[in-house]
Amino acid sequence: MKRPQVMIGAVIFLVALLIPVFLRNDYFLQVIFRLFLFASLGLAWNLVGGYAGQLSLGHAAYFGVGAYGLALLSPSISPLPAIVAGVVLAMISALIIGSVSFRLRGPYFCLATIAFTEVLRLIAKNLPNVTGGDVGTPVPSLFPRNTMVSFYYACVGLTIVAFALSYWVERSRFGYYLMAIREDEDTALSVGVNTARVKLWALLLSAAISALAGALYASLFLFIVPDQMFGVEVSVEIAILPMLGGAGTLLGPLVGSLVLETASEVFKNIFKEAHLLIYGVLVVLVVLFLPEGIVGTLMRKLSWFKSAPPTPFASTPSPGPVEESKRVPLPQPTSE
Amino acid sequence: MDWFYPFVQAILNGILTGALYALIAMGMALIFGVMRIVNFAHGAFLMLGMYATWVLFEYGHVNPYLGFLIAGVLLFAIGAVVYAGLVRHIPVQAEFMIILLTLGVSLISVDSVLLIFGADYHQLNFALLGRNFRMGQISLNAPWVISFGIALLAAAGLYIFVMRTMFGRAARAIAQNAYSAPLMGINIHRVQAVTFGLGAAAAGMAGGLLLPVFYLYPDVGHLFNLKSFLMVVMGGMGSIEGAAAAGLALGVIESLTSLYWGNEWALVVDFVIFILVLSLKPSGIFGSQRA
Repeated sequence: MKRPQVMIGAVIFLVALLIPVFLRNDYFLQVIFRLFLFASLGLAWNLVGGYAGQLSLGHAAYFGVGAYGLALLSPSISPLPAIVAGVVLAMISALIIGSVSFRLRGPYFCLATIAFTEVLRLIAKNLPNVTGGDVGTPVPSLFPRNTMVSFYYACVGLTIVAFALSYWVERSRFGYYLMAIREDEDTALSVGVNTARVKLWALLLSAAISALAGALYASLFLFIVPDQMFGVEVSVEIAILPMLGGAGTLLGPLVGSLVLETASEVFKNIFKEAHLLIYGVLVVLVVLFLPEGIVGTLMRKLSWFKSAPPTPFASTPSPGPVEESKRVPLPQPTSE
Repeated sequence: MDWFYPFVQAILNGILTGALYALIAMGMALIFGVMRIVNFAHGAFLMLGMYATWVLFEYGHVNPYLGFLIAGVLLFAIGAVVYAGLVRHIPVQAEFMIILLTLGVSLISVDSVLLIFGADYHQLNFALLGRNFRMGQISLNAPWVISFGIALLAAAGLYIFVMRTMFGRAARAIAQNAYSAPLMGINIHRVQAVTFGLGAAAAGMAGGLLLPVFYLYPDVGHLFNLKSFLMVVMGGMGSIEGAAAAGLALGVIESLTSLYWGNEWALVVDFVIFILVLSLKPSGIFGSQRA
């Protein structure tokens, strides 16, 4: 019953694939490249943050590991195996990060993902002999003639793969496990969902896609520095896109990226370095007025659009009669 | 004895830094303890306090050791407005939404400052900076010592306010049970607005006190934001005395790491401690969690 979202997605991808045929302007292609790059990252984040409801603010870790894997390993093995190695490394990091962080809930989980990413960023900064440190390190080009168009197609391809994967997850038993965890982890556990393993699998998939995106991004710019790959701003951007579009919806990350990247490109010329201002304003507006995101709200408002499972993060009604306070103490941190 | 003086010096420096950390962390712990809000805008509040103090000094020639008080008052107002205008409207069960909201507030503050003042680094330029107190081989930088003293006073004041006044008692009642507190006649929104304002004011004052000994740029708060998460978690989320103890401990740990391993590893050690505390004892090392 996901037809409308799949259809809209298909139309967007079709248009995206046709754009280079008519438009050969490298600047525009690069803007749209960035749009799809962050859409694929948003789709990857959505598996963990949207369907499973685990607010990760550390996805820059996998993005960066993918990029650094390509940059540092390709001199010894050629670029393509280096990408694979980068993906494997990102999945190993996800395994470590996930097995520690997933024992934590709520804000504790979120803080743990930030802490791990910061450790990776600082290691990349502090080991100049290995990673080039703050000066950065060169990245080989993936495509022989290094044209913008090949990067563009690779990026749209990656986004289509991520989209298809999300579609499969949404309809599979695995996806329902994830959504059950989001709705109520204890109940999911009590009916026999191996929550720890399911969450970890989602993170592994997510990390693999993020690492591919990181490698693609790094290879386009041919040079990377730690703050650009592992920075908290990157993690925040990856998390904000799908939330704006609608976390836990198929189309959400795509729509979020479309809105936010376009806005950021437009405002870049007006506000110069301060273009993140528009992010801040949009985030506050979304939280106040569209807590289910753009797609999530549309799904609730329009009947023909309605289909999907309930969206996360929308406020559940207050349990008690104490409407005035609406404040419930947070559960204690659990470390099962 | 060669190791002795550098070691003592590092510990003393660590304590001087730690008192400022403690003040920042107490502000965040207060907000978390009463409202269960993980405030991602805390670093931005600190940065705003620094800029306010700096503007007062540069354009109004107000001494920073007076300016930090004005910054504190300003940040109190900003905090209360952020609570009343934004945070209040989000149901607390949607904790991710509150995290996103405070992130948004942080982005707006940092980028507004960037837009107005530019990305340049600034440093206060005043006579006290070069002065040192010397005792044998130990020397302490005068502005650090003054900031330390004032931060201790402010932290003690905040602690007494929360533990000894009627208002503090109301705030602690909300922390214990947000359902029954209003039934006891506590105006929950007013108390929470003041609490949020106080938390922001603690960050703003710490920013003002940090200004003479640190440098200033729009994203300066980011670092302190992450550190204050660490301190609040170490202290037991919501315990302000625990957060203060964690602040002092963190100052000393950073200082010793810088001495033996080099400055660039101090932050790495911070985050490794963070991960260890989160994974081994998320209820905190110092003090019990008060809730």
